[in-house]
Amino acid sequence: MDFNNNIPIYLQVIERIKQDIVSGKLKPGDKMPSSREYSNELGINFNTVARVYKELEMEEIVFTKRGLGTFITESDKQIESLRYTMAKNQITTFIEGMKQLGYTKEDMIRFIEKENNHTERNE
Amino acid sequence: MLNLIKYEFIRKYRLVFMILITILALNLFLLTRGVGGSMLFLVLSPIVLYVFYLADIIRMYSDDLNKKTGYMLFMTPNSGYKIISSKLLTAILEGFGLLLIYFLFIIVNSIYIIISIGEVVDFRRILSSINNILSGSLGYSFNLIYLFITLFSILVFIIAFITTAYTAMTIRKSLFSEIKFGGLISFIIFLLINWITTYVSSWLYGLLSNISPYYESMDIILSTGRFNQETLIMILLPMISVAIIQTITLTGFSGYLLEKKINL
Amino acid sequence: MSQLKITELTKKYYNKIALRNVTLNFEQGKIYGLLGPNGSGKTTLMKVVAGLHKQTSGNVFINDEELSYKTKAYVSYMPTENYLYGSFKVVDILKFYKDMYEDFRYDYAVSLLNEIKVNMGNKVSNLSSGEIGKLKTVIALSRDAEIYMLDEPLNGVDVLSRDTIMDIITKSHSENKIIVISTHLVSEIEKILDTVIFLNEGTVEIFGDAEELRQERQLSVEGIYKEVFRNA
Repeated sequence: MDFNNNIPIYLQVIERIKQDIVSGKLKPGDKMPSSREYSNELGINFNTVARVYKELEMEEIVFTKRGLGTFITESDKQIESLRYTMAKNQITTFIEGMKQLGYTKEDMIRFIEKENNHTERNE
Repeated sequence: MLNLIKYEFIRKYRLVFMILITILALNLFLLTRGVGGSMLFLVLSPIVLYVFYLADIIRMYSDDLNKKTGYMLFMTPNSGYKIISSKLLTAILEGFGLLLIYFLFIIVNSIYIIISIGEVVDFRRILSSINNILSGSLGYSFNLIYLFITLFSILVFIIAFITTAYTAMTIRKSLFSEIKFGGLISFIIFLLINWITTYVSSWLYGLLSNISPYYESMDIILSTGRFNQETLIMILLPMISVAIIQTITLTGFSGYLLEKKINL
Repeated sequence: MSQLKITELTKKYYNKIALRNVTLNFEQGKIYGLLGPNGSGKTTLMKVVAGLHKQTSGNVFINDEELSYKTKAYVSYMPTENYLYGSFKVVDILKFYKDMYEDFRYDYAVSLLNEIKVNMGNKVSNLSSGEIGKLKTVIALSRDAEIYMLDEPLNGVDVLSRDTIMDIITKSHSENKIIVISTHLVSEIEKILDTVIFLNEGTVEIFGDAEELRQERQLSVEGIYKEVFRNA
């Protein structure tokens, strides 16, 4: 994994884990690697990974079983809300960007429909 | 301590081995010139060995103080006293080793000389031949006690000399580290310590000449070259004492500097 | 419990001051980056802690013990230069360490060297600078010491060896150790640092958590480094 050193590394790892959860790469109840294993895999410091797990635990996206390790939440509600938040962030960024380019709401919707049809045909 | 000495020898065995090969080659070369060559070898080789020995002993310490490889030694959890003592013990052992090797060469060359002049090789003949060689190089008739006294005092003086050199180098890397002309300063310190010991020795002899007849007429006795073992011991004793005290003091001082003031 | 406390450390040479009143507190379990340009005092600081240089004033406490030859047993220092005996084979260097340090993990060193394919039978003088860099790191980290001082571990080392060295460092790190890494190649190493110390002409300029600094200043540690030292 390549990191952008301008952004805190733990935030980048958190972002990646969240994406993997939403995309289904990480499934509810999956066991996460220990902070040592994960840090070796990512080539970073294990304290950074420990911080990642701590943050994610506070957000109730992972939970720790004492002596067993860290697991992805089993709550569909949590994952759904995670997906919602991430989608919302995407759309907010999108809307702001498009507005700066001078698009109106209708223009945006038309654009989306056109591009979406285009992508579907290609798939 | 044993570990430190062990690695001193591991680090230098190739060099010592090389000098021995050189000496051996020199001997073989000179033997082609007959008995005279053999005699010449016995005079030349101790000079070569001695020069090598001093250079090697100085290098052994100065490399560790001045080269990056010295970190290998100075990072280890050994006190400065232990490090300097192990260097001195290594020097003493190496000195004995080289001396022993020189004796081996004497024995081999004696046998060669005996055979060359057509006599029968037996133990007594070898001994008398060694006797001749040593009385030639040491300047007086050979006997074991003389030999022992001579070797012992030479050893003590060499160790005192080495300690002085080590101390000067240690001062250079501690009290005068990072100073311009530090090398020159340490050489001046070296001369200064030598001057002090010479001064103390002569002061001691002056003092003793007032109380003991041995020292009163010491110069006369020495110039005649005729003196007995007792006289020799008495004459050397003050100098040996000064050298031993000098060695102990300077070793302690160097150990202290290595422990408290060093900048490698 | 590893602890390193430096209080008001000053190191003067006859015509310059290498360290001025440096006060730092190191906690176990963290990797510290000691950052600064050449001549900023990084090496001097490490050498003082390793017992190779004596400070002019101030104190260094390692596990509440004042510096002495005894504290050398707790500190594993890796000089930036090639300090290994050239005539020794790699295996002889390992034996030396095993004989000299009670905490040297010979088997760990052998397994690391096998992993990175450094031949044990090679003479040190025949190794490339990349191999020397890797060997030095392996040796320093194979001691089960409490404090590691790695002086410019990436200096003069090729890009691939740099990755290997960083891997060895993160792999060998643990909760009860302190690792201090000095470097001026900030961008390459910053992702493994917990805490950074900016040293400028012997003075501590910044001492802080790497992630917090990134968040506060919206910059990489390297970016901050460039800002701090641009005028230096």
